[in-house]
Amino acid sequence: MNAFAAIVKKELRSVARERTIVIAITIQLFIASFSSAILVGMLSFYDPDSIGLNARVNVKVGIIGDANAPLIRFLRKRNARVTTFSSPSDAERAFRAGAIDALLFVPKDSGTVIDMKLFLPESETRSTLVLMILKEPMKQHENYLREKRGVHVRYTDIEGIPSTAYEFRYSVIIPILMFFPAFIAGSMVIDSISEELENHTLDTLWSAPLSLNVILAAKIVAALVLAVAQCALWSMLLRLNRIPIQNLGLVLLLAAVLTAIITVGSALVSVYFRDRERSQFVYSLFTLLSAGMGYFLDASPIAVMTRLAAGDYYTGVADVAIYGALLVVLLAAFFSMAEKLIAVPS
Amino acid sequence: MSRILTIAKRELTRLRSRFKRSSRPVVMLILAGASVISYLAFQRGSVLSSGLYRVGVSPGGPDIQDSRFDTVTVARSAGHSMLGEGALDVYIDGDQVTPGNDARSLYAAGALKLYLEKQELARIADRYAVDSLDRAFPLRIEVNYLPGPTEQEPLAGQGTSLSELVGTWTSASAEPTGADPGAEQPPPDAPGSRPQPQPRQAQSETDPAVREQIKAMESGSRLPKIEIEFASDKEIIIPSLMSPPIPFAQVVIAFLYVLPISFVSVFFTSSFMDEKIDRRITVLMSAPVTPFEIIVGKMLPYVSFSLASVVIMTLVLRGNLLLAMAIFTPVILFIFAVYLMVPLVYRTFRDTTFMSMLATTMITSYLVFPAMFSGVSDLSYMSPLTLAVRMYRGEPFGLKEYLFSTASMYVIFVFSTYIGTRVLNEEYLTRFQPLHGKAAEAIYLAIVRSHLYVSIALLSLFLIPVVYMIQLATLAISLNLPIRYAMGGLLVVATVIEEVAKSAGIAVLLEKKDRGVRTAKDVVRLSFLSAVGFLVGEKLLLLVSLSAVSESALSAALFSSGMLWIPLVAHFGFTSVVCLLTRRFGIRYYPYAVLAGTIVHALYNLYVLGVVL
Repeated sequence: MNAFAAIVKKELRSVARERTIVIAITIQLFIASFSSAILVGMLSFYDPDSIGLNARVNVKVGIIGDANAPLIRFLRKRNARVTTFSSPSDAERAFRAGAIDALLFVPKDSGTVIDMKLFLPESETRSTLVLMILKEPMKQHENYLREKRGVHVRYTDIEGIPSTAYEFRYSVIIPILMFFPAFIAGSMVIDSISEELENHTLDTLWSAPLSLNVILAAKIVAALVLAVAQCALWSMLLRLNRIPIQNLGLVLLLAAVLTAIITVGSALVSVYFRDRERSQFVYSLFTLLSAGMGYFLDASPIAVMTRLAAGDYYTGVADVAIYGALLVVLLAAFFSMAEKLIAVPS
Repeated sequence: MSRILTIAKRELTRLRSRFKRSSRPVVMLILAGASVISYLAFQRGSVLSSGLYRVGVSPGGPDIQDSRFDTVTVARSAGHSMLGEGALDVYIDGDQVTPGNDARSLYAAGALKLYLEKQELARIADRYAVDSLDRAFPLRIEVNYLPGPTEQEPLAGQGTSLSELVGTWTSASAEPTGADPGAEQPPPDAPGSRPQPQPRQAQSETDPAVREQIKAMESGSRLPKIEIEFASDKEIIIPSLMSPPIPFAQVVIAFLYVLPISFVSVFFTSSFMDEKIDRRITVLMSAPVTPFEIIVGKMLPYVSFSLASVVIMTLVLRGNLLLAMAIFTPVILFIFAVYLMVPLVYRTFRDTTFMSMLATTMITSYLVFPAMFSGVSDLSYMSPLTLAVRMYRGEPFGLKEYLFSTASMYVIFVFSTYIGTRVLNEEYLTRFQPLHGKAAEAIYLAIVRSHLYVSIALLSLFLIPVVYMIQLATLAISLNLPIRYAMGGLLVVATVIEEVAKSAGIAVLLEKKDRGVRTAKDVVRLSFLSAVGFLVGEKLLLLVSLSAVSESALSAALFSSGMLWIPLVAHFGFTSVVCLLTRRFGIRYYPYAVLAGTIVHALYNLYVLGVVL
């Protein structure tokens, strides 16, 4: 047991000395940050309501034509500042002076198709933003016109709040932060084992009163400890960012079990190929393959993690236990095969 | 050239020897499996958030075909009781949707609202498309673009004024088909009845646009879908059918080009590591080949593979081959330039893995993130993937945009290859040092001692794209902080990065006690040249950026003499502070010297921004 603990400590010490863990944490922070940046950017266009964009951006709209159109009411309800103009030249002057961001020509409703004209600034960023904010009032006006023409649209009055950011947090950010440490741990185990094999230091270590399984298990455990520590750190940071994780114990347990599966799998790959180059290549492909296969399963690790973290009523210990059973089978296979694989001449 | 080809051939032999005997079928099997599964997963589309919400539906209620909703059919009383227990997030009873009491249920209701609205549109389109499209989609909006408030020209590209255009439009719309505008509208159909054809407006000019958008909505239900889009001449908006401008499918396609390049990079980095482990690098260096030939020779098979994958993908996706090559060649060179640095600074296997991961993450983010905003902001041109997105949307771009996207990639490739040729020696590769020590050694080796002044100036100039990319990464990370801290933090970090870039070469010379920095005057002279190099690089970057993203008048103003000497003096001053302090107190105090230079620089920035004084 002491020898086992000594190898675990040695592995952890070398990670600390090389500062590689700092790079690992930077990678994850970077991925999470970029994902959030993409989310905020995309929400501005897909779902401006969810980030309160409508409330923050003050859009000034000029109207020529039907000053009594309900569209004006819908625009005002969305915090747009509406000015009506009696002549196009006045509107043009206001547009050129920057007094309005958009100009809308609203013809009187003649009971048929209403062809409006919208004038926006040439600046792509500004005009896209304005258009996205105008979208909802224009949709409401369209539904109003439909009702007026006897076309009833159902489900327009559902009481809910925009879900895009919520889904992104629980389906993307939390799984990335909980599973990326596992991916890193797998790579670490491959590096650690293949470095010993390529530099022939494993033979020396093996000649000490240590079994191969103890050496390999210690390397796996060291990577596992680091991964779980990172997951715990991320869960604390998420909580500080007001993103609560429900079933935290089970979430961390699932992350640990998945990390163990990945690290045992990567150890198996490295003792089979015995060099870093092939092992890392096959490991990357294998990760891609597993992620792809998981995609087809209702109980894929990402789906289970999402449901656990979001507090799904029907997801619990049994879902984690499936992966626990898989780990037990993999461990038994690994420890019975590792020594034989190493003994085969390369 | 023949020596480069010999090394390339040797590299292929090395790679082949790795995958011989029993390992080949295993790798081939996994590769085939990964390809098939990835393809199937891609075809299936996004199933993120699968089963996130639990929805109860009354018998005869709507059929929900979205993987986010796990649906169960339950009677009204049972449904409401499950809602109360939290076993359901939402219950749908006919047209009535009731969410539970917690926040999660409200999110579920929000998601359901968007889904059902879309289903409703599909229902309406299906029911009314043939004979009453004008009733189902009665509002059509034509979008026109006008010069902004700062522009004084009349309607760009239209040769007419707004008043004229409006006048034409108003008179045309007053009597579009000869109907009396003041006439009473026909009474609406009773809900649920079959639509009555409208005799006056059976066909509208904008009907084809409506049908096209309905088709896009129906086929776009399972993103990501590979479909090459082409922009239409006239933009007609139907508010309920309007989709966000994010070119998700095209970005996914563009990203697929990058994926194989990232995979082969493992072999490229391993190639250098192999030479080091077996000490074959000693033999190689004693052969009559230059480090440049070794690097290019080793890179050649992988660059060729990457180019071949670009050709194949473009042919499969029916893109423009020449354009694709022009776009992805600098991307490939840039990726290999970054991966070349990894084996040159690595000390252990773990280092290589983490640095490769960091490189992959940063390269992917740098390429993909801006491309998501293609067509929204001109700044998206900073990534060449934006050009690929435009190519697949059938939208044009000019030489300026091409240069803005790719110039920094070519510069980084030249810089990285140069550094590679300078540090490729046994002593450098095999010495175990801290990472900053490795970086300092590389900088020292990159400086040509016989042309010290030119080297220092060029070092600063070539570091500009690196500084630019690190600052971009810092910007992304700073978004985690509240905005006021983010801005402050960003200002400080960006300044530190600039000061390190300008002073690194001189600091390394001071550390090595080089004869080129014996006196304070030498240090000041080199600081000036470093400032010149940095300023030239900075302005070149700005020139390319502004010519692509803004009007040329602005870039002309920025290059006026009055605006050149002030930043030159400023850069010179900050770098001198850092380097003179380092000379005075020793290299151990370099971080403090950078801190001092940063404070002065930050104060200058605040003054320029009008925050202080």
